[in-house]
Amino acid sequence: MSAPDAYNIAQVPLTAHAFSPDRSALALSTNSNDAQIYAKDGYDWQPISTLKQHDKLVTSIDWAPTTDRIVTCSQDRNAYVWTKESNPESPSQTIWKPTLVVLKINRAATQVRWSPLENKFAVASGARSICICSFDEEMNWWASKQIKKPIRSTVLSIDWHPNNVLLAAGSADMKARVFSTFLKEVDKKPPPNVWGDKFPWSTVCGEYSSSSGGWVHTVGFSPSGDAMAFASHDSTITIVYPAAPAVITLKTTMLPYVTLIWTAEDALIAAGHDCQPMLYSGASTGWKPVGSLDDVNGPRSSNFSSASSPRTPGGGGGGNGPAVGRLNNAAFNRFKDADSRGTSSIPGTPSSPGGGLFGGASGVSGGELMTVHQNTITSVRPYEWSPNGTVTKVSTTGVDGKLVIWNVSAAVGLAPKLAGVHLR
Amino acid sequence: MASSDFRKINIDQYDEDQLLEEELYEADPRDPATVLADAKSKAAGVRGLIAKGDLGTALNSVLENAPYGPKVDDAKILTLQTLLLILNSTKPAEIPTRVKALSSDCQDTLMKYLYKAMAMPGYADVNSSALLSWHEKLTEVAGIGCIVRVMTDRKTV
Amino acid sequence: MSSLRPYLAAVRSTLTAALALENFASQVVERHNLPEVEAATSGEVLLNPLTISRNEKEQVLIEPSINSVRMSIRIKQQDDIERILCHKFTRFMMMRAENFVILRRKPVQGYDISFLITNFHSETMLKHKLVDFIIQFMEEVDKEISETRLSLNARARIVAESYLATFG
Repeated sequence: MSAPDAYNIAQVPLTAHAFSPDRSALALSTNSNDAQIYAKDGYDWQPISTLKQHDKLVTSIDWAPTTDRIVTCSQDRNAYVWTKESNPESPSQTIWKPTLVVLKINRAATQVRWSPLENKFAVASGARSICICSFDEEMNWWASKQIKKPIRSTVLSIDWHPNNVLLAAGSADMKARVFSTFLKEVDKKPPPNVWGDKFPWSTVCGEYSSSSGGWVHTVGFSPSGDAMAFASHDSTITIVYPAAPAVITLKTTMLPYVTLIWTAEDALIAAGHDCQPMLYSGASTGWKPVGSLDDVNGPRSSNFSSASSPRTPGGGGGGNGPAVGRLNNAAFNRFKDADSRGTSSIPGTPSSPGGGLFGGASGVSGGELMTVHQNTITSVRPYEWSPNGTVTKVSTTGVDGKLVIWNVSAAVGLAPKLAGVHLR
Repeated sequence: MASSDFRKINIDQYDEDQLLEEELYEADPRDPATVLADAKSKAAGVRGLIAKGDLGTALNSVLENAPYGPKVDDAKILTLQTLLLILNSTKPAEIPTRVKALSSDCQDTLMKYLYKAMAMPGYADVNSSALLSWHEKLTEVAGIGCIVRVMTDRKTV
Repeated sequence: MSSLRPYLAAVRSTLTAALALENFASQVVERHNLPEVEAATSGEVLLNPLTISRNEKEQVLIEPSINSVRMSIRIKQQDDIERILCHKFTRFMMMRAENFVILRRKPVQGYDISFLITNFHSETMLKHKLVDFIIQFMEEVDKEISETRLSLNARARIVAESYLATFG
C-alpha cells in the first residue's frame, strides 16, 4: 500500500485548486484575492506567478486540459479567463494574460468549471443563477447567458455532463438539479439520453431534494453521465439513476461532505468536514462505503514533522463518542492568563503547542487530528487515470493549507473499520 | 423633521425571490386531525406496551411516522409525552441496545425529540439527566451525522 | 442534579456538528460577507437552533448557520451570591471581548454569555481546539463559581469567628 503524498503549501486555507494538463503546475487560491500558480521544484511546490485581477476572495479555479486555459471566479462577481502568452520583454518567459468575462451577476461567484469540449464554461453564483459563458468570435469576448429559474438560493456547486450540454447544479435551497445549457450558436444537438430526449436552453431535466434538508454542497456526473451524485449538509450522499429510476440515499454517521468526484462508473470519492476522503462504490441497485483513503491507524507518511508523534489507539473511525472532561493544560493556562492577566487568548492557533486533547470526529493525538488533513477538505479532483479511464489518483486541498495526492486503491481493504456506517 | 420610520421596514420581506420557510420542505401529507388521532391511539398502545415491559416495540411505534411540520402542535406534544414515558422507564444499561435496534430514520427522529425535550427543562416529565444519557448513547451509535440532521431538517418535531 | 460530564459531552458533540462552516458571501447584500446567524436575512442558510440543558438553570443554546455559529451559555445561579459572581465574571470577560476573539460583547437574551464563531475563526484555528476551548471554559466557570462561593463562605465564617472572639 502506498502512502499519500502530502505537501504543506501554505499556512492559510486553500479554497480551490486545479492542476495543469501535464501536472507540472498547480493553480491555487490561498484564501486571498489572487490565484497563485505553483510549479514543482524537486519535492516541493514553489509559487512562480500570481494571477492578480480579482478584488475579493477567489472562490474557484479550473484549468482546461486541452486548451491549457485557466478560468477563475471570485466573490467580487467577476470571472477571468487566463491565457498563456510569451512575455514581450523576455520572450522565453510565459505570462498569463487575463480576459474579463462579463457575467452580469450582482452577487458572489462560487464555482467555475470548463465544459468537456472547453468551448464553454459555467459559473455558479450567489445571485441565484448560473452563468453559461461562451466565446463570441465577432465581439472577441466571453459572452454570458444566465439560467435563473427555478433556482431559489445561492448555487454552491456545478458539474458538466460529458455531452457538453447538461449541467448539474447544487444549491442552498436544498436541491440538486440538472439543466440543459444548449446554445445553438455553439452546440450540436445532443442525442437523447437518460435525462431526456430534447434539450432546449435551460430545461430542467431533473430536480432532487436532499433527504434531510441540507444545502447541496457538491454534485457530480458519473463518467458516462448516466448517473448523478450529490452530497448535502445533512451528512448524506444521494446517487440518482434516472434510467432505473432509482434514487439512493446514504446517511453517514460523519460530518457533511463538501466535495465529491466519481472515480469510475461504480465508485466515487467524497470529502469534507471530516478531513478524510472516503471511497464509496455501488450501482443502481445500491451503494456502500468502501473505506477511507486516509489510513488513520497506519503509519503516517514521513514528510510530516509530526510523523514521530505517538498515536493513541482506538480514537479512529468517524463519529466515535466524544470524550470530555480531560484537562488540557495548554488551553487551561491560556485561559488562566487571560483571566488573571488579561493577555490575549486565541485558542488553538496552529502554531501553539498542542495539549492533550481528545474527542472530535476523527480522534486526536497530541492536539492533532489523526487524519492527514487537519481541517476541512475543500476540494477533491482527479489527478491520474488508468488506461481504461478509471481515476487512480486524486488530489485534495484543505483549510489546513495542505495539498495531498492519494492513491484510490489505498482505500480497498479498510471496510471493517466502517462497521459503524449506516446504510439505508 | 423627516421621518426615519422607513429605515425600520424590512424591505427584504417584499422581495419575491425570498425563499420562505414553508417552501424548504414538503409538508406532511396527512390531515392535522388524523395526525392527532394517530398520536392518541399510539399513546394508548404505548401505555399497554410499557405495562407489558416491551419498551423496544413501544419506542419504535412512537418514532415511526412521528408528526412534523406546522399545525400539528398538539400531536407533537402528545408524542413527546409518550416518548418521555418510554425514555424515563428504560434502565440506563438497556439504552445502547434500544438505540441500536432502531432504523436510521427512527434514530434521527429520536435525536430530534431529545433536543426538543432538552429545550423545555422543567416541563412535566422532562428529566435532563436521562435525556443526556440517551443523547450520549445515541451519538455513539448514530454518530455526529445524526446531530447534523437534526440541525438541517426543517421537518421539525 | 445531574453531573457535569454528560452535559459537556452533549455540548461537545452538538458544537462539533455545528462547526461545519464554509466561506459564504451574502446573497442579500452585494459584495458583503456577514455572519449569517447574526444577519438572519436568508432563512435557508440558517439551521435549527438546538438547546442542551443540564437543568432549568444551566443551558446552552447553539444556533448554527452556513458560515457562523452562535453559542450562548446560561450559567448556574442557585442563589444571590452565585448570581453576583456570575455577573461579575461574565462582565469582566465581555469587556475584554476583543482579546477572546470569539466572545460576543452582548449575550443573547436569556443567557449569560455568548460566543460567535465564524468560518474565519475555524479557518485560522483548528476546529477541534475551538471546541476544546469552549468546553474548558464551561468547566472552569462551573468550578470557579463553586470555589469562589466556598471561599467566600469560609471567609465570612472566619470573620464572624474572630469578631465574636473579641467578645468571648
